[in-house]
Amino acid sequence: MSSSADPSILVENLVKSYDGRKNAVDGLSFSVDRGEIYGLLGKNGAGKSTTIKVLTTLVPPTSGRVSISGIDVVKKPNLIRKIIGVVQQEEAFDFTTVEQNFKIYGMLWEVPRETVKARTEELIELFNLTEVRRKRVFELSGGQKKRLQVAREFIHDMEVLFLDEPTVGMDPIMRRSVLDFISNKAKNGLTILFTTQILEEADYICRRVGIIDRGKLVAEGSSDELKNRYGASKKLSVRTSRDLSESEISEFNGLMSSIEDVDDFSVGRNEIWAMGKQMNRVMNEVMRKMAAMSIDVEQVNMDTPSLDDVFLDVVKR
Amino acid sequence: MRIPAFIRLTIRNVRVNTDPGTMLFMLGLPALYLVVLGIMFQGIIPSIDINSSSISYTKFLAPGIVGMQAFTAGNIGGGMLWSDRRWGMFEQLLVGPFRRSEYLLGIMVVSIIFSLGGSAIMIALAISISGSFAFTAVSAGYLILILVAGTIFFSCLFLIISIVVRTMQAYNTITIFLFFTLDFASTAFYPLTSKTPLALRAVSDINPLSYVANVVRDAMVYGVSAQTGYQTLIVLLLMFVFFGISLYLYRNVQTGL
Repeated sequence: MSSSADPSILVENLVKSYDGRKNAVDGLSFSVDRGEIYGLLGKNGAGKSTTIKVLTTLVPPTSGRVSISGIDVVKKPNLIRKIIGVVQQEEAFDFTTVEQNFKIYGMLWEVPRETVKARTEELIELFNLTEVRRKRVFELSGGQKKRLQVAREFIHDMEVLFLDEPTVGMDPIMRRSVLDFISNKAKNGLTILFTTQILEEADYICRRVGIIDRGKLVAEGSSDELKNRYGASKKLSVRTSRDLSESEISEFNGLMSSIEDVDDFSVGRNEIWAMGKQMNRVMNEVMRKMAAMSIDVEQVNMDTPSLDDVFLDVVKR
Repeated sequence: MRIPAFIRLTIRNVRVNTDPGTMLFMLGLPALYLVVLGIMFQGIIPSIDINSSSISYTKFLAPGIVGMQAFTAGNIGGGMLWSDRRWGMFEQLLVGPFRRSEYLLGIMVVSIIFSLGGSAIMIALAISISGSFAFTAVSAGYLILILVAGTIFFSCLFLIISIVVRTMQAYNTITIFLFFTLDFASTAFYPLTSKTPLALRAVSDINPLSYVANVVRDAMVYGVSAQTGYQTLIVLLLMFVFFGISLYLYRNVQTGL
């Protein structure tokens, strides 16, 4: 059984092959602590959903070790299914009304009737389903269906929640509200494995993210760590208070060419821009040179990389 | 008190399938056959004479309609796997606190509940139209046995279709074809006599619904005989064979692809 020392989710050298030739997941390892929201990012077909399907006992692993709360997924799948919640990427509904979906799901999970009633009211309100509560599921829009699918999972208690692209089809306001709700649940001890294609979401709620490509974990860390480690080139732009002379332009061209960290640059009449890593060092060099040449600075901009940049940088390698 | 998983799944299956459309298909249509065809055909077919016994057409039709409940309930129950797979609930339930076997049991139990419940309603309706039937303890036992065995057989048939067929169009085509073929080329609506066309007789002879309808008719009208036992055995045998096939296929239904 589980102990508090066990990570909530432990994946060690997980391999999953459907046809015996190509591995959908290829030696994947990561762990998620209790109460942590861990983002699993990757392009389509990277192996995210397969990983979730192994973790939720839907498909057996080809090899490797996978446990949840210290319980082996392969040896005790029935025990695992009692402590997890899953919001699948695909739609999954009983074609009854919204309210009945909550009631049936609560009954299936043996949640006391009074608790189901109270939670249904709370979730319908929180997920903005009040107007459609008596509508049958096939009458709902895509976004409403997704909200129902996510909300319904919170009718029962669980230790670990798997969210496979849970905000698809939601408008930005609802998306933010759902992410805040999920985030609060994690603060109360719920462990969440979260996959998304919208990297801002991972940036917003995940303590750590893992980037998966062709079934392998290619990068892992906090969002900031990854931005620093893998962030694509930063862009520095310095606007001068006066036009530069030809000789000054030539001086700056020489300076930028001499700095190794600069991947690309341009020196114009009143603007210098450069791209590359370690742009702080480049900025210092430029500032020093400007001071030496008595050129005043009007504006300095440095664009920091987003998680999107990190993702693109990592999967392009 | 904890409710066993298969009962929770059965309750869910009942709730999901008690929508007006399913109820109309399960109860409205057979009731319509019984009332409209029974009363209207009574004028065209005043009596059915078999083995020196003469009964009204309504009395002949009623057991056929009761037997059809096994087919209809099996269709609804077995078809649940199809709709659950199509609408994602099969996988959703299998990542919940349920085993595959419990899901299957939930389908079988709901089919039997629908079959026995629907049959009770049809018998009550038939009694109100054509008077009482001659039930004994043995015939009632046969009636329940054949309805349960027939329902499990038809549920397994539709489970197999749900597993094998991949598109909604194919599924609908097959089920509609089976519905009309099995219902109308059986002894549910008319008896096999020397005037029955050979092709129709051949289809009816290999149609499991004929055996179910015959046993129900013996139990309700003609009385149980050795022939009743023989036909019940055939349905039981079919039930075991189809249960084995559907179980094999069901165990190999892949999830998470």
